[in-house]
Amino acid sequence: MIPHRPMFWHIEYVWLFYVLAAVAGGLFLAGVAAHVWVWKRAARYFRIPFSQKAVKKTLVDALLGRRVFQGNMAAGAMHFLLFWGFLVLFIGTLLLAAHHYVHPFLIGSLYLGFSMAMEIGGAMLMLGLLWAIFRRYIQRIPRLETTKEDALVVAWLVLVVLSGFVVEGLRMAFQHPQWGGWSFVGNCIGNLLTISASESLYPYLWWVHTLLALGFIAVIPFTKLFHLIGAPASLYVQNTPKTPLAPEDETVETLDLADLVFFDACMRCGRCVEVCPSAGVGEPFAPRDFVQAMRLRLWMEYSPFGDVRFLSRGHEKKMAERIWYCTTCRACLEVCPIYGATFEAIRKMRAVAIEEGTQVPQILIQTLDKLYRYNNPWEASKKKRAAWAKELDLVDLTKTEKETELCYFVGCTTSFDTRAQEIARSFSWILQKAGINFGILGKKEPCCGDIARRVGEIGLFHEQVDACLKLFSNYGIEHVVTSSPHCFHTFQNEYPEAPFKARHYTQVLHDLIVQRKMEFEKKLEVTVTYHDPCYLGRYNRIFDEPREVIRAIPGIRLVEMAHHGPDSLCCGGGGGRMWQEDLDGETKMSEIRIKEAHATGAQILITACPLCLIMLEDARKTSGLEEELRVMDLNELVAEAMGKGNNI
Amino acid sequence: MKEILVIAEHRQGELRDITMEILGLANQLAQAHGLSVTGVFLGADASPFSQTLARTCDRILVVEDPGLDNYNADPYLLVLAQIISQQQPYLTLLGHTAMGMDLAPALSARLAIPLVTDCVGLAFPRDCLEASRQVYGGKVNALLRMKPSSQYLATIRPGSFSVDLAQDKTATVEKLPSPSWEGLKGRRFLGYLEPEVEDVDISEADILVSIGRGIGKPENIPVAEAFAEAIGATLSCSRPVADKGWLPKSRQVGTSGKTVRPKVYIALGISGAFQHQAGMKNSGTIIAVNKDPKAPIFKVAHYGIVADLFQVLPMLTEKFKKS
Amino acid sequence: MNIVVCIKQVPEVTDAELEITKDGTDIDKEDLEMSINEWDNYAVEEAVRIKEAHGGKVTVVTLGDEDAEDVLRRALAMGADEAILIDEEDFEGSDAVGIAKGLYAAVKDLDFDLLFTGVQSSDDAWGQVGLLMAEWLELPFASLAVKIELGQGKALVQRELEANTLEQVELPLPAAVTIQTGINEPRYVSIMGIRKVRNIEIQQRTAGDLGLSDMEIGEQGSHVAQRRLSLPEEGEGAEILTGSLDEICERAAQIIRDRGGVA
Repeated sequence: MIPHRPMFWHIEYVWLFYVLAAVAGGLFLAGVAAHVWVWKRAARYFRIPFSQKAVKKTLVDALLGRRVFQGNMAAGAMHFLLFWGFLVLFIGTLLLAAHHYVHPFLIGSLYLGFSMAMEIGGAMLMLGLLWAIFRRYIQRIPRLETTKEDALVVAWLVLVVLSGFVVEGLRMAFQHPQWGGWSFVGNCIGNLLTISASESLYPYLWWVHTLLALGFIAVIPFTKLFHLIGAPASLYVQNTPKTPLAPEDETVETLDLADLVFFDACMRCGRCVEVCPSAGVGEPFAPRDFVQAMRLRLWMEYSPFGDVRFLSRGHEKKMAERIWYCTTCRACLEVCPIYGATFEAIRKMRAVAIEEGTQVPQILIQTLDKLYRYNNPWEASKKKRAAWAKELDLVDLTKTEKETELCYFVGCTTSFDTRAQEIARSFSWILQKAGINFGILGKKEPCCGDIARRVGEIGLFHEQVDACLKLFSNYGIEHVVTSSPHCFHTFQNEYPEAPFKARHYTQVLHDLIVQRKMEFEKKLEVTVTYHDPCYLGRYNRIFDEPREVIRAIPGIRLVEMAHHGPDSLCCGGGGGRMWQEDLDGETKMSEIRIKEAHATGAQILITACPLCLIMLEDARKTSGLEEELRVMDLNELVAEAMGKGNNI
Repeated sequence: MKEILVIAEHRQGELRDITMEILGLANQLAQAHGLSVTGVFLGADASPFSQTLARTCDRILVVEDPGLDNYNADPYLLVLAQIISQQQPYLTLLGHTAMGMDLAPALSARLAIPLVTDCVGLAFPRDCLEASRQVYGGKVNALLRMKPSSQYLATIRPGSFSVDLAQDKTATVEKLPSPSWEGLKGRRFLGYLEPEVEDVDISEADILVSIGRGIGKPENIPVAEAFAEAIGATLSCSRPVADKGWLPKSRQVGTSGKTVRPKVYIALGISGAFQHQAGMKNSGTIIAVNKDPKAPIFKVAHYGIVADLFQVLPMLTEKFKKS
Repeated sequence: MNIVVCIKQVPEVTDAELEITKDGTDIDKEDLEMSINEWDNYAVEEAVRIKEAHGGKVTVVTLGDEDAEDVLRRALAMGADEAILIDEEDFEGSDAVGIAKGLYAAVKDLDFDLLFTGVQSSDDAWGQVGLLMAEWLELPFASLAVKIELGQGKALVQRELEANTLEQVELPLPAAVTIQTGINEPRYVSIMGIRKVRNIEIQQRTAGDLGLSDMEIGEQGSHVAQRRLSLPEEGEGAEILTGSLDEICERAAQIIRDRGGVA
């Protein structure tokens, strides 16, 4: 007999199967439709542009599970088994349907191959499920939650696969097909059972398996399993080009489609919680909590049926006050398997709060007020902005006709904070020594707008953008170098198309070294470690240049902290946190970081951002490490090696 | 003889200090310009206060009525308007207090008498009133010469004048009848509310010993406490100390804590960030102890000690134990 | 519940270094930023909150130049419904009475249940305007309000007294209340929020419109003949005590004794 498989063997009331299948299919589609309905109603714009790049990325990430493997081989492997096991079974079922209703083709050797593939698929799925249970319930990996939904979903699928194999085993125990060996699992099970038992039991078990399987399909959109649809959708949407908010657009920047899909696709895997610096120091915030709270809130608001995830109701956590904890460090995006940018969604919710007005922390109101009136969030004065340059004889580009090759955009923090002013003095000194023709903007320098944007004050952000663009255009400034990675990032990535080029000072220092314009007069026999600022490293992938600058200094020994490069730990100053000390708890993020630096044995911690400098200097004092470790900006180190001061 | 009318202020059975301060000022002016001082008391029962008032006034006018027991602008306005219209004093003085701030403008409007509020100095250089005030949040002094007028009204800032206990006058007491309560606007006094119990109200202290991050750890606080005790001071702190829970939040000085103006403010190991400065910079005398000579606190302090506070404190505490 | 709030635009002086003009009558305001008087900001917030709870209309009124429209716009962005600007021309040289006269003339024919002003303004700090208006309008009033609750045709007001005590008074409506700082937490007004209300028309009034004569306002109407401003003597930062540790402590102890009244 040619290898084949009879359909609906020994099953009566086959019509019932079709009915159930239709119901299950209907529920599944209804569930998915409900999601699309909510997205349509809640999103600012419901637009899904076609992007070839996004399609490619989606396929690669989904099929290989690359993001799940990142940093976690075990999780990646487990997910691979689950994904491919399920996919094989799913495709196999479709092929079977095609074979039965369209044209029989699963015959002979094709059938044998098909059988084996299905067995492998089923085995992979079962293995993956067992591994998943092991990780969540026996290993008790902290980021994995153990809610009712988690238990139900995995138990249900286990039963589906198990019942599937048992049913197959029963069938084979009776049929004894010659090609049984190709269905090795079923074969094994079949050998364990007796014929008489199999015949009478078979239909019942078949219906049980059918109900479980169809039920599983029906329930997908109503549990976290929605991620089967949501995750690929999220992978796609996150990778399509974003529509920036135009300055004339008077609507408040609220959540767009990418955010909504992300919220629904979130599997609560918790990788974001593991890397979030705020959660890490015990603050009442975690990206996952925010995402889940938002998801629930949006469903309650936009869905006529409320939240369709019947098992995760009651998970609402008080997010209104907590959106101010996020430092926008981007660590969550670095690890999220579906490219969820939680901090971007938070920024939009902050914009909503700013518009409404009554939920804005008072301390932030004062800061924004200063920014509005005095173009900086620090002091109620514009005059003092250029005070750091008083004795330095620098070219003020707003007062001279002189042509220069670059404009040093000092930035608010570097201009006003007494510690951070050293960055400006050192960098200016270096540029002068290297013979670079540069100028500053003096008192007229506006704020780049970063803090306004991070905190959600879009109107104020656009005012700063206008002020900067106008200034640059008035004085013919085409090349801007910043002290702060925040200014750099904002100029480079968030300003509208503008005819000026923005760089961070580490890039300039790197250039000077490559072009051999930098001469080191001193040998610095010290061990240093380097802290990657979030906005330089993770946001703009500038990891190597600062390190190469450090290594170019004679005598220097560079060691790395446990968390470095893309893993760097946030100092806690971004996202407006620098001006919201009242959010700090018993332990500060900066204290964790300074201790990590201390643990390397380095004598100096080097930073490349004025906010990091201030935060880490502070932490050095509060952690009692004043005698053990120094904190310096890269400019100070380089200037020292070039023969400037008397620091080291 | 022209009169200076002083409206006495009392609450819950006690004569408030401001009354004696104003009487001190009134007597100064009276002596300098040949005026008489008339005290005015409105309340339920004047007897507990009449002796004190009698010593510092030439004349006392008293209106006793249960409706006047607790200050209420409505009846007080009615009575005082009547008294001032009858007596036509040259100058009427009240404290720039919750009562004076409430009462004086309405009096001024009702009687069309020019009013200067929150005065820290008063004089009659020629024959009009010259008042010293502070404007722009205390950053600028203002000297106002008022136009000539037959009558003036002024409220006096508490703490600007000293209590004058040297007077030994014997005032005549005149009891005036309560007026007919017509034309009241319906404001009712319902009662006093005691504030929430705090452990200590640092804004009431004369001397504050304030600790900052420099204290290092909570185990070191007793050293500061011993010092505070030795000089009869209250312990307060800067933000980081309150945040860490080493002292209750009610002890925190600064923009998000309390604003204080003690006679002496001693800052130990406080760097002096502007948020902290805003809460204490108007203190009478500020002494700062900090290892860092560049600490911003030295800009706002009157005296500075650049040293380790743990070296300074024990020795300083000893200085007070000796005596 | 209709509420009228009188507000003032004042220069921001907290962190600025002030200079007196040559004739000594005012400070040099050229480099100073202007903003709403802090007390008035609390008053607007309180009015908007009451409106949000009880319905009604909030009208804000100010006396100033065209720059003063800024504070009116902010108030509108916070939730006020109407705004009136009284042109300050003709009011130059006014004292508190002159300003209060102008505001009184502008509001006396409006229909309101509550009149709010801040307790005082951060520039001159007279603390008179709201209460002068109350008296001329023949309204019951209460100053230094730190809490307001509304009942049946009445307002329950908590007033801030000295030594951390509060008193509770009851006012029949309509009434006038002057608002103390700290009564609430004023909401944030975003740039976009201000843009959204830019089309609301601000009603304009002049002294002439209001039927005010020179005798009542301006220099003639003021009770102040002359005002001379001066800066207090400047300190130079701390006097650093020197000498041995013992000498320093001795000196410090002496200072503490003298200034603190310690035995």
